[in-house]
Amino acid sequence: MLADAHRWMPAGMHEVQSMLALLITTAFLLILWRYRTLSFGVFALPLALLLTVVPSLGLDKYAFKSPMIRSGWLFVHITGLLSAYAALIFSLTASLLYLIQERRLKNKRSPGFLNWLPPLETMDQIAQTTLVLGFCGLTIGLFAGSLIAQEIYGARYFADPKIWLSFLMWGLYVVLLFVRRSKGLRGLRAVYISSLVFLAMLSVWAANVFSSVHRFSAP
Amino acid sequence: MKILLTGLNHKTAPVELRERLAIAPENLAAETQALLSHPGIREGLILSTCNRVEVLICHDGDDPELSKYLNQHFSIDEKTLQPHLYAYRDAEAVRHLFRVASSLDSMVVGEPQILGQVKESYSAARSVGAVGPALERLLQSAFTAAKKVRSETLIGASSVSIASVAVDLARKIFGSLEGKRVLLVGAGKMSELAARHLMQQGARSLLIANRTHERAVRMAQKFEAHVVRFDDLYARADEADILITSTGSPEFLIRTPHAQQFLHRRRNRPMFLIDIAVPRDIDPEINRLEGIFLYDIDDLQSVAASNLASRSSEAMRAEAILEQEVVRFQKRVEVLDVVPTLVDLQTAAEEMRQAELRRNHGRLRSLTPSQLEVIESITRGLMNKFLHQPLQTLKAAAREGDTAAVELIRSAFQRQGGREDAGNAAQEQSAPDADAPPAESAGKSGEPESLISKH
Repeated sequence: MLADAHRWMPAGMHEVQSMLALLITTAFLLILWRYRTLSFGVFALPLALLLTVVPSLGLDKYAFKSPMIRSGWLFVHITGLLSAYAALIFSLTASLLYLIQERRLKNKRSPGFLNWLPPLETMDQIAQTTLVLGFCGLTIGLFAGSLIAQEIYGARYFADPKIWLSFLMWGLYVVLLFVRRSKGLRGLRAVYISSLVFLAMLSVWAANVFSSVHRFSAP
Repeated sequence: MKILLTGLNHKTAPVELRERLAIAPENLAAETQALLSHPGIREGLILSTCNRVEVLICHDGDDPELSKYLNQHFSIDEKTLQPHLYAYRDAEAVRHLFRVASSLDSMVVGEPQILGQVKESYSAARSVGAVGPALERLLQSAFTAAKKVRSETLIGASSVSIASVAVDLARKIFGSLEGKRVLLVGAGKMSELAARHLMQQGARSLLIANRTHERAVRMAQKFEAHVVRFDDLYARADEADILITSTGSPEFLIRTPHAQQFLHRRRNRPMFLIDIAVPRDIDPEINRLEGIFLYDIDDLQSVAASNLASRSSEAMRAEAILEQEVVRFQKRVEVLDVVPTLVDLQTAAEEMRQAELRRNHGRLRSLTPSQLEVIESITRGLMNKFLHQPLQTLKAAAREGDTAAVELIRSAFQRQGGREDAGNAAQEQSAPDADAPPAESAGKSGEPESLISKH
């Protein structure tokens, strides 16, 4: 799709969603290769499918038309942020699966249909690794974005709600990583923290509507 | 002699109750002796494992009230205990014992430890003289049946022990066991087995803590393990990812505060605790802590139950073998039950004597009553003298459990074994000559019974 449009960068909401789907699928394949567990597919693949199919059903309301779209920095910005989203989705999924598996082991009644769940420690590692990878992506993406903004718009740009939220999310992410690392948080509390960051992430996504300077339909 | 088996197991009673009844191995002999002193019990044996407490007795006459004995002995009131108890008699008891010994009644069907435990109970009972010929015969048959099941079915072959269930669970928690550390608290057979399994699956190192330090050292040499002093247990338990307890401690060794400490020092890395001791060593409350996975012996059962399906076909074959063995045992007991044969032989001889006397009735008519009495006593004396040796040999053979000799003597006199024949013979005898003194034959048949039941 991107190749068809003769550019390596997604422009517009629909293309962004498609790219996110691509990244999610890639992440899933990486996890499959590294940890030999298919369980994540149950969550990841329908999500990827949804992200691909839903946009193709209608015209894109938010198209991002700007000469900057061919800039390499912007590509880094978007790819970095989207991989952070994908990683965070996996981290949350892994934490949730961890929780389910933990409850199952605790209750000691093992319904057979949950047997496909990977071992706890694998799940924990996946959650950790994806978190770290996501953090790298987020940092790179934000850094690239800040550079571009600084270059073109100056300090005014940073007063926008979406931009705040982005930095807030980055801050939360740092806290989450730090807490998880130092306390070895697992199970329920890890899920709480992951979902908190995930919510922040969703609100950043939704903030598109409120933002005046960083809308996809921005001039 | 009647056989009665009563008790409770993992199917009928929860671990909370079983641990109150459990008897430590070192007390087994004394408990068996106490059981033997209960009125009406001639032979007895107590089997106490983590999954069952069973009392097997041979008795005469009415049931000795064993449940009452259990109530008093373990100070558990009857209402609590009664719903969990089962009682099997004679053939049912034999079948149950065979099933227990061949591990068909085990929590993890096919696990090998139970036979050893039955043997230990047997030798404890022997050491206090509680094993007589009846129990001896029964247990030897049970051992034979168990061996047969083991060698002729695959029931013990698949990975089916508490140990392998523990390994499966550890895998669910840790993924690979590579580099994991195992701590054994208490050096028992079961924990040893579990440890061996875990090490085979790649666990890195083994720590052993035992109250008697020497025993821990001895076991550590066998496994190339490290010994943890029992006093250091709480300080070092957090080093282990998997902790297996199997001590004989009557109270909990590890409680919630201990586990919280462990978790804190492990920075919340999960810990898998396996408590195979009965009474339990670890407070079940600690399973509520996040990151602690505690499994006691009953929990392992529910996991093991899911493995059961694959083994059920083998279990069916095993049941069929046991059915044959039970029948064989019953037959053997019948053969060795020589009382009917003794009665039969004596009544047959008496019949013969009476017949001879009747046949010569005419020729003896001239004799005076006192002379008749002399003839009566001579013939009876002859008969008894003639029968004495074969009957003694028969009794001795039965005592020894020598079925071949018993059969040989029977066939020499053309007598078949079994009570039925004796009954028929008695009827035949009483029908034609009503004039024969019935009191006498009754007295004769009463005698061998009392002789037999002496041993």
